Amino acid sequence: MAAGIIIDDVTKVFPPNVVALKNVSLKIKPGEFFVVLGPSGSGKTTLLRIIAGLEVPTKGRVIIGDEVVVDANEGIYVEPRDRNIGMVFQNWALYPHMTAYDNIAFPLRIKKLPKDEIDKRVREVAEALEISDLLYRKPAHMSGGQQQRVAVARALVKQPNVLLLDEPFSNLDARIRITAREFVRELQKNLGITTILVTHDQADAFAVGDRIMILKSGIAQQIGPPEELYGKPANVFIAGFIGDPPMNLFKLKIDHPLIDTLNVKGYITKHGNIVYVGIRPDEAIASTSLENAHFIGKVILVEYVGSRRYAKVNILNEISMRVLAEENIRDGDEVRIYVKKLHLFNSNGKRICTINP
Amino acid sequence: MGAKRKLLKGYRGGLLGSPLKWLIANIVAWTIGVLWVLPFIGIFMTSIRPFSEVVSGWWSVSPFTPTLKNYVDALFNPMFSLLRGFMNSFIIAVPSTIIPVMLAALAAYAFARFSFPIKNYLFVTMLFLMAAPQQMTIIPIFFMLNNMRLLNTYLGLILIHSSWGIPWITFFLRNYFSMLPKELEEIARVDGATNRQIFFKIVLPISLPGIISASVLQFAWVWNDFFFALMLIFDPNKMVITQMLPRLKGQYQIDWGLLSSGSVLAMIVPLIVYIIFNKYYMGGFRGWAMKK
Repeated sequence: MAAGIIIDDVTKVFPPNVVALKNVSLKIKPGEFFVVLGPSGSGKTTLLRIIAGLEVPTKGRVIIGDEVVVDANEGIYVEPRDRNIGMVFQNWALYPHMTAYDNIAFPLRIKKLPKDEIDKRVREVAEALEISDLLYRKPAHMSGGQQQRVAVARALVKQPNVLLLDEPFSNLDARIRITAREFVRELQKNLGITTILVTHDQADAFAVGDRIMILKSGIAQQIGPPEELYGKPANVFIAGFIGDPPMNLFKLKIDHPLIDTLNVKGYITKHGNIVYVGIRPDEAIASTSLENAHFIGKVILVEYVGSRRYAKVNILNEISMRVLAEENIRDGDEVRIYVKKLHLFNSNGKRICTINP
Repeated sequence: MGAKRKLLKGYRGGLLGSPLKWLIANIVAWTIGVLWVLPFIGIFMTSIRPFSEVVSGWWSVSPFTPTLKNYVDALFNPMFSLLRGFMNSFIIAVPSTIIPVMLAALAAYAFARFSFPIKNYLFVTMLFLMAAPQQMTIIPIFFMLNNMRLLNTYLGLILIHSSWGIPWITFFLRNYFSMLPKELEEIARVDGATNRQIFFKIVLPISLPGIISASVLQFAWVWNDFFFALMLIFDPNKMVITQMLPRLKGQYQIDWGLLSSGSVLAMIVPLIVYIIFNKYYMGGFRGWAMKK
């Protein structure tokens, strides 16, 4: 049932010359939950629309299961309705003049299935999505979370090979969002359906993705499981994009005192005069009592991000960075900072290595 | 200060900004409103009173003897029955609304959502030709209908009204359709619908306000038309109500009572149509004016 997807060297240019996607290639395994993560305008929605068949690539091909659904070079194009895809849009796109029941039944009625078969399947999927009691309501009388479930139900009712989700969580309140993520994740695992989710929100991506592709200006930056993106970012863009609060990134000359203090000279000698040093706030700690600290700094500000407490510290009178703060630390304190892990990038922003100084 | 506050009692701030703007907007709106309604009140007042009371103007209110005599006379006049005119108007106006709205909706959707080679030229040509006045086209229309043996028939007039309506309704509905969220049509495509199914099952139902707005306008336009009917229908039994009205005026002296009661009767139909569909009609225009 679940089908793999191959994106082969896909390029999309919108006239006159806006490049939305550039030579994107990837393989999605059957049953995988794949996330495309990128800032707005990165081309992620275009990629999804190409897979759905709502957009035709300028170059390259897409294979779903063992069928080439589009090949720009060979002139092959399979209509969306023949791709057996379920899709959920950002605004859910429920038909406003139909009840939830009719919305969910729509794809089956188009297929002209017998009435009792339609009824059975609508009720089954409604049960699974816990929306049985809303079936006779119109979208205008449902909450965002309920509308989303109806949209997912409509996408799943025809038992598609692939499920495409375009920012399905971004119109939900923060609280519902967390339950919605869990719910979608569980549903996907239970059904084992190949799923591609597009989002600009890294929390969404990390919550549900087996693997994540990071897209920037139409170019794939890195593809890998969440731990890899977080632990071994391929370049400075990803390093800064992934992680909350964001990584502290410094562009330093090779003779900068910080390079000495952190003892990283050995790793960077072959990489020119300038390097990027990245330190995640969660991978460094500020304390008043550390023995083997890397450097000393002055606390400018203590703040909470989520449930954790961070200190913004000034070091060497010129650089400020955010690090985890011990409980007793207050604004203005002199602190000793210990760095557990740091990421090095060359002057082009490409990853060199990750080390424990 | 107190007086000013009283004067501005209805002022709620908001959209119109300063109180002064609010005041000016109100004055302008009321002036236009009164100017608009005044003739109607005049005709109505004339129609419900005996002729002798209104010879010196409908605004003289004493004596005031309300009567329905004018209406009865107008409706059941043996020489030129308004009732017949009513029926004829309906026979003309209903198909002249349904046919062009249906055809124009199809054309409008094509203009709104599909691309084909000469689309833009075609659209501009259509807009350009919409500017042609009726009087300019009437002679060719007359000869064409004559050749088709459709002169002085319901069908002929219906065809002319329909073709006259198609361009503007196409224009109106094209704008309406382009404003609809594309996602609905796209998800329907992904869900397996063909273009025809998308149009009939999704686009048309959600465009109901726009379709109704266009229908109401077209209906009122056809109903109120005098010129085409005058030129193309001359059998008294087939005449529409607007053609009947001038014949009520009498041969030697103008019977204002009869004439105005006929006018009120003729007006009532489009008025009722507006009232019934008011909700959709306003919705159609609100939707039209706002970009979602």
